[in-house]
Amino acid sequence: MPGHPVGLRAPGQPGNGEVLVDQDRRSRPRTRWGSVVAVVTLLATAFVSAGVVAAPAGAATAGPKPGGEVRFGLEGETTGGYCLWSSQLAISGIQVVSAVYDTLTSPNTKGKYVPNLAESVTPNADSTEWTIKVRPNIKFQNGEPLNADAVKLNIDQWLKGTLFAFVFNNIDHTDKVDDLTVKVTTKTPWPAFPAYLFLVGRAGIMAPAQINDTTNCTSNLIGTGPFKLDSWKVNESLTVSKNPNYWKKDAKGNQLPYLDKITFVPVVDAPTRDNQLIGGQLDMLHTSSAQSIDKFRKTSGYDTVTEPPGNRDVHYYMLNTAQAPFNNADARRAIAEALNIKQINQIRNKGLFQVTNSVIDSKAQGYVKNNGLPKYNPTDAKALVEKVKAANGGKFDVTFLTTDDTESLAEVQLLAEQVQKVGMSPNLSQVNQAQLINTALAGKFSVMVWRNFHSDPEFGDAANYVWWSKTSPINFPRIDDPAMQTALVDGRSAADADADYVTMNKEMGAGQYIIPGWFVDWTIVSKGVKGILGAPLPDGSQPRFMYGRIPVDALYKTK
Amino acid sequence: MPAVPPDDSRVPGPGEGTEGSGSDLARFAEDSLTPGMAVGQSQLYLTAVMTDGKSRSRRLSLGAWLAIGWLGVIVALAVLAQLGLLPLKDPNQSFTSCARLGPFAKEGSASGHLLGCDSNGRDMMSRLIFGAWSSILVSTGAVALGFVVGGVLGMLAGYFGGKVDTVLTSVFNVFLSIPGVILALALVAFLQGAADNTGGQHGIDPKFILVLALGIVSIPLLGRITRASALTWSQREFVTAARAQGAKPLRIMLREVLPNVLPAMLSIALLGIAVAMVAEGTLSILGVGVKPPTPSWGNIIGSERSSLADSPHMIFEPALCIFFTVLSLNFLGDVVRARLDVRESSV
Amino acid sequence: MDAARLIGRRFLQLALVLLLVSFFTFSLVRILPGDPMSTIIPFGTSAQRSALKHDLGLDKPFLQQYVNYVGVPGLQSKGTSGILQGDLGRKYSTRQPVTTFLKQSLPISIQLVLYAQILALVIAIPLGVLAAYRAGSRSDRAINTTSFAFLAIPNFVLALLLAYFVGARLKWFPTAGYEPGWLDPLFDPTRHFTFDHFRYMTLPVITLAVGQVAIYMRLLRSDMIATLQENFITMAKAKGISNRRILFRHALRPSSLTLLTVAGLNIGTLIGGAVVVEVIFGVPGMGEKIYQAIVAREYVELQSYVLVIAALFVTVNFIVDFLYIVLDPRIRRAGSSA
Repeated sequence: MPGHPVGLRAPGQPGNGEVLVDQDRRSRPRTRWGSVVAVVTLLATAFVSAGVVAAPAGAATAGPKPGGEVRFGLEGETTGGYCLWSSQLAISGIQVVSAVYDTLTSPNTKGKYVPNLAESVTPNADSTEWTIKVRPNIKFQNGEPLNADAVKLNIDQWLKGTLFAFVFNNIDHTDKVDDLTVKVTTKTPWPAFPAYLFLVGRAGIMAPAQINDTTNCTSNLIGTGPFKLDSWKVNESLTVSKNPNYWKKDAKGNQLPYLDKITFVPVVDAPTRDNQLIGGQLDMLHTSSAQSIDKFRKTSGYDTVTEPPGNRDVHYYMLNTAQAPFNNADARRAIAEALNIKQINQIRNKGLFQVTNSVIDSKAQGYVKNNGLPKYNPTDAKALVEKVKAANGGKFDVTFLTTDDTESLAEVQLLAEQVQKVGMSPNLSQVNQAQLINTALAGKFSVMVWRNFHSDPEFGDAANYVWWSKTSPINFPRIDDPAMQTALVDGRSAADADADYVTMNKEMGAGQYIIPGWFVDWTIVSKGVKGILGAPLPDGSQPRFMYGRIPVDALYKTK
Repeated sequence: MPAVPPDDSRVPGPGEGTEGSGSDLARFAEDSLTPGMAVGQSQLYLTAVMTDGKSRSRRLSLGAWLAIGWLGVIVALAVLAQLGLLPLKDPNQSFTSCARLGPFAKEGSASGHLLGCDSNGRDMMSRLIFGAWSSILVSTGAVALGFVVGGVLGMLAGYFGGKVDTVLTSVFNVFLSIPGVILALALVAFLQGAADNTGGQHGIDPKFILVLALGIVSIPLLGRITRASALTWSQREFVTAARAQGAKPLRIMLREVLPNVLPAMLSIALLGIAVAMVAEGTLSILGVGVKPPTPSWGNIIGSERSSLADSPHMIFEPALCIFFTVLSLNFLGDVVRARLDVRESSV
Repeated sequence: MDAARLIGRRFLQLALVLLLVSFFTFSLVRILPGDPMSTIIPFGTSAQRSALKHDLGLDKPFLQQYVNYVGVPGLQSKGTSGILQGDLGRKYSTRQPVTTFLKQSLPISIQLVLYAQILALVIAIPLGVLAAYRAGSRSDRAINTTSFAFLAIPNFVLALLLAYFVGARLKWFPTAGYEPGWLDPLFDPTRHFTFDHFRYMTLPVITLAVGQVAIYMRLLRSDMIATLQENFITMAKAKGISNRRILFRHALRPSSLTLLTVAGLNIGTLIGGAVVVEVIFGVPGMGEKIYQAIVAREYVELQSYVLVIAALFVTVNFIVDFLYIVLDPRIRRAGSSA
């Protein structure tokens, strides 16, 4: 923003090109005629400029103007850093990754994963061998070439990350075929492998320099993406600037990206983030807060783009099924019937989000209208609670685990109230985001409030195996259901896995290992920024807004 | 936290008045290793309450009665509510249609909720009255702890002097070198961490941790005042006389020094409760105050602070409660102090 | 007592206090039950955790760890560096050195506290002089009552009110965020001065300053009331010197030293108040960093921040005491006659 001398009083909007009102002129008395002339001139100018602007917008043959900077408000900071193969990125981190890195494949609006950084991703007949060819003449932001060695280094490194090792445990080995091609051999047939090359945006291809510099890997972001890292001040801002050698062009052949700079600003508190957008300190933000989304939809001057169904984030409650009380099926049924999800959705979300009985999105593989999850039934719940208490010395203690932000805190109090009505004894455990996973792994919870997971229109295996498999490190509910496990394992390798995932869905409903809440409508709110949905993918199809993340390669400013 | 109480070496003795300049400064300074700090602290104490050098008459002003009245009312309401004797709605029950509605809302059903509801639809009036209990408990408990421990330590330091004094004063100085809020934050974090790891699922009542943390923060402050006061009084003739008569130190401290030190401490205690209440609010904003769903004035503000734009009543109501309580306590603290000066100067 | 000896003793006290504070914060972290290893590598094996523990030097005896932490040359373990070498530890999660964050956040808090102090004094001094001059009158009582009322407003309430009414509704100032000022480039050369800095700091500074205005005003007022009764004032008036000169040239002087010392002490209060103000206004200073370190259980980071703040506070008070001894002729006179 242009600097201008300001004292402690600077009325008027902040921002570019705003004229500062002259204080002295304001206080000097004006003559009547002076005012009339001023008003007439103003009106005239307004009409003229309106006329100019009203000229067909399509007359802009040059396309988006290159240049400009955007400040993008994020939900949180990625304190663990960006050493991609070992980090556990949340949506905020994934959004930053989309600026600095490219993934080998990308999802498009037709529900498919198509080659992106890769030129082609070809399976053999039974999907056990995947040949990945990358595009030629692409360089990382530090000058290193993108070639088969780099890709192999990335894929091999994935197998070393504690979490990624499990996610990619179906990879047997990777071989270099030629300078631009690698071949990945998997242990079992794996039709969903292209989805894993995207991994909801986590599988960015890192430069060898970043991978090999183990001390600074978390803060030394180097990729092939549209922007390169300028500076990162933790909890303050992360700034990236245009990569002049980016390999993607827009539909008309113009060099991407348009913007000169993006500054990502973590603002944990949703209303504060909203205020910053309103006040002009941010140009755009992402939000999952129903209050914010509702407010901006109703206010003119803001563009809102909401993620379509198919991959939606789910807000749900995970039960710890490995220990009391929820290692008991009656107890699980009791809490499923005790929670009045509609009331929670009404109070916390103004009823805006779509309540669901399953984590599988309506357009995703495995969706079924009624998966058998019990409906809200406090009377039956009470009876079940009595039964459990009788077998358990009169105790039914439930520990709710959440993050310590005010929204989660308010929600968990509602939950506690609801379970208390049917006779359970709730207590609340709140930890910082950084501690949450650790506490979950240690099993110190009965119910964990969680928002994550996503289903997929094309591949049930895009996430289900990773999340619910018995041996998965992120199987926080500790699900151990043989029928479900069979469905997961079979579904991973089957060419047509619809039936498997429907079975999985029904087993989840019958077992009540998790209690789904609602689908989260991730929304991008912007003012004066267009190109939200990103540039077309190399094959011409449009990229999919999924899991709260947008491509930033085609953002441009309209002001 | 404002209002750091008086200095190392002495408080104004009888007849020295409440103004601060003049030859008092020289005496303060030369006695003290920290002349600047000594002067500064005494001044801060004096100006935290209203002071204009005039002595007060024996009758209480209207303001004092209002203050006593407010404090009496909230304490009574809080206690009665805890005992279940008030016809209040359950502070933890959510009324869906009332969520976020203020007392003057035109739509929805805020009827039956005189002060509106919070963001979960819980009755504000009920939460405020139950919240009074938490706020009062924590702040009074913290000051009581500081009073007792700090008072004892200060008395020992002031009466015995010498090595005892040096050691205790050094300990006080270490704690005082960390600004109060930060020390409180660090203590709550550590104590909470310790409790989490040892207490299991039904750990220690979080209010107790707050009382402990805020109490520890107030110990050095109260210790220093007690020390200063005890030092002055210990140099008086009747103490020397008692010593000459062979009385044991404990007896002297209890019978001769303590009764004279106590009244000065009372005024500080009132101020301290006000400070502790605000401190609990600060800690709640930072997420480490009284743990919900138990309400306290501070944590209601803390939980609902994002909603100032849409539902300001959720912030204003508890804020006004804190404001009037702090105002009353400050006012009464001043009245007590003024009374003391009258009493002392008539000795 | 001789001024030089007084200063010397004070300096030793400073050093001792700092040492004790470092020991205190260090001990708090170490005696805390629980395993920081599971925070850093939640998915790690127990072998990995032992290795990490060894890397971080956390398996050594308590006193040895403290010596390493301070960095006593000759006594510290090989390959470790401590405070005396400028190493304030690293964050658990990203292994970044704490000094990096200090460089970014310290100048921010210093500027915040400085501006608040200046603003408070600029408002309080004229008000205090006025109140003293018109002691007992209606304007005096009005000023007194208003300042008494302002003392009772908790700073977080004021912060929220300003953020909403002035920031979000009137949009005069931003409700959150920060731009670098004049001090930032000195600590971190990658940052450059912007004029927007003052716009972002306005609301936080006002919030912090308001609480202190009352204190300074009352102090000055009571101090000056007493001064105005002294003989030399009557003399000056008899000489025909104007009221304004008397007030600001003659009467204000003796009180200014007291004001200075109180201001110095108040830095502690301001630093404490800055924590919640920074969090509410999203200003990434030391207070905000301390808060983040606490919630993320980054105890090594926390103990370094506490130490730095304590050092700053103690140093400021030391300077205040030094100035007091040097500047107040009564002390020097009293000292030399003792």
